[in-house]
Amino acid sequence: MKDYERAAIRSLPSGVPGLDIVLGGGLPEYSFNLVAGGPGSGKTILAHQIMFANATVERPALYFTVLGEPTLKMLRYQRQFSYFDPDLAGSAIQFINLSAEVMEQALGEVLQRIVSETERAKPGIVVVDSFRTLGSPHGSAERGPTFDLEQFVQRLALHLTSWEATSFLLGEYGVEEQRNPVFTVADGIIWLSQVTDRNSVVRKLQVVKTRGRAPMPGLHTFRITDNGLQVFPRIPEQTGKRKLRKRERLSTGVPGIDEMTGGGIIAGDAVMLTGPAGSGKSTVATQFMMAGLANGEAGVIAVFEEYPEQYVARATTRNPEVAKMIEAGKLEVIYLRPLDLSVDEALAAILEAVERLGAKRVVIDSLSGFEAALAPAFREDFRESLYRLVGTLTATGVTVFTTAEVIGGFGELEFSSEKVSFITDEIIVQRYVEIEGEVRRVMAVIKMRGSEHSHEFLTYEVRAEGVVVGGPLTGYDGISTGVPTLRAGAKPSKPKRSRRQG
Amino acid sequence: MTTAEQGKAGPPQGQLPTRQLARRLVEARRSERSDGDTSARATAAACDHLFRELSRWVGRDGCHALFARALAQARTDYPVMEEIQLRPQSEPYVEVAAETIMAHGDVATAEAIESMLARLVELLGRLIGEDMAMKLIEGSLALSQRGDATFDKRREEA
Repeated sequence: MKDYERAAIRSLPSGVPGLDIVLGGGLPEYSFNLVAGGPGSGKTILAHQIMFANATVERPALYFTVLGEPTLKMLRYQRQFSYFDPDLAGSAIQFINLSAEVMEQALGEVLQRIVSETERAKPGIVVVDSFRTLGSPHGSAERGPTFDLEQFVQRLALHLTSWEATSFLLGEYGVEEQRNPVFTVADGIIWLSQVTDRNSVVRKLQVVKTRGRAPMPGLHTFRITDNGLQVFPRIPEQTGKRKLRKRERLSTGVPGIDEMTGGGIIAGDAVMLTGPAGSGKSTVATQFMMAGLANGEAGVIAVFEEYPEQYVARATTRNPEVAKMIEAGKLEVIYLRPLDLSVDEALAAILEAVERLGAKRVVIDSLSGFEAALAPAFREDFRESLYRLVGTLTATGVTVFTTAEVIGGFGELEFSSEKVSFITDEIIVQRYVEIEGEVRRVMAVIKMRGSEHSHEFLTYEVRAEGVVVGGPLTGYDGISTGVPTLRAGAKPSKPKRSRRQG
Repeated sequence: MTTAEQGKAGPPQGQLPTRQLARRLVEARRSERSDGDTSARATAAACDHLFRELSRWVGRDGCHALFARALAQARTDYPVMEEIQLRPQSEPYVEVAAETIMAHGDVATAEAIESMLARLVELLGRLIGEDMAMKLIEGSLALSQRGDATFDKRREEA
């Protein structure tokens, strides 16, 4: 079979972080696209980002406004966004109002105006906002021939493509209208929606269609900030293998835990530390991070339960190096707690920080706080999403250390309070036990893939300098119940300083 | 007090950037027009031109709303503006009757219309930012320098 040379389709950047990935590489040049969604879904912002990312004086962008939001107000609001460059307005980006034509003339004249402006300016990008308002023409038979919106869109597509313009028609459509015949003309369809669930609103984007590209299927969350839209591509299921990393052992910064795990946790693994409130999970997590930093490995801590300033202040009290490392750009504490968060957004923030710092260690403190920060709609599939998040992070070669709170410190030990233990390679549990009227802390390694580890419950203390592991709690039965009993003839175990501390 | 002096009741706006820009717009129109034209008509022609150019951006209704506000403001300082009418559906946009110029004087009428133009620039600046407003109007000036003879002929005929 003969290999025919394909006509190369250049991709234009959308100017929207994350969207080019969803689009399968960017916007196909000279494509005719529809951007649909309800009021306030972000269509106008998306169109402006695309324009500002691509328009030049030589190949300007034409933005036709029809009826709806007055142009002055649109400009007033749009220029609040960081992408809006006033220097480009009027030259590389030209706004043209068609309301007079729409109010007084037939669709044919509206089309003619768009075509003549296109011929004049020779634009690279053309936007019509909003084309749906053209659907009820105000023209009369006396003003000339009229035709319906479908024909209008058909003819407009032909004209704009022949003028080598990449075009976007914005329209207010509900998801139930996806089968509208007007959409058959388009090369690409981007659908924006807002989903309300209890008190949270989640914005979602779907690339319904894009000719000549393989877009990422499904709904992707996005957020609108002062920088415009940012899309968080849905975390794909990890089909590939993890990035190969020498199975070296990493110190946790707690010598006792290193000993329990047979020499430290395994680089590139996902570790979960569970325990009740106040058991020292965050302290161990910080020690883990500081051990990496001492070894020249940059790190990222994602916190969900308290503001980063508080987190850093507390960690710095234990170890003054924390603040120094942040200042040196070796450690970043990112705060993710908007309560309408998606797992994909959290991943994007963590991955971006990992990439920026070249981080090798990531701490997620805690999974419980993370789940609480998610929009209700995303809590339903938290386990699955977390599986994909941890898979994506470990695939980059970083070692992920997560903490998870278990409810109730003295009852029957729950090894998998978050029901997410399957996502981790290593699980360490902390718990309180009551011995002779005293509260004691113990910890144990209960899971470690592909490695021998201690099976003992070891006592530990949370001191000013951090967690210090002591000796095993010997002579007791039923430690996992929280109220162990001394075996007959055994001597009570007293708290003592560990020989394991270096 | 002369009739011309009576027409000017408001405080002069000095050399504010908006006033300077308004004056440049007027000068640009005046340079294209016949020597026999009055200052008031040249100033009105500058308004017509800006109305036409801004309408491309913000729509005729949106632009007329801006001019109407500017006119209302100018009327508080310049009583002569009570006799000036805006006609968004026809040309010229700013209607200045010969009797008005006769009654108030050419210079005073021109200054009053120029005041409306300056207020329009200010208003636009408050809405979309001074930098962008200036840029839009500078763009209009550039077009003006390329000539707008057809429209000016219509004003002369009117």
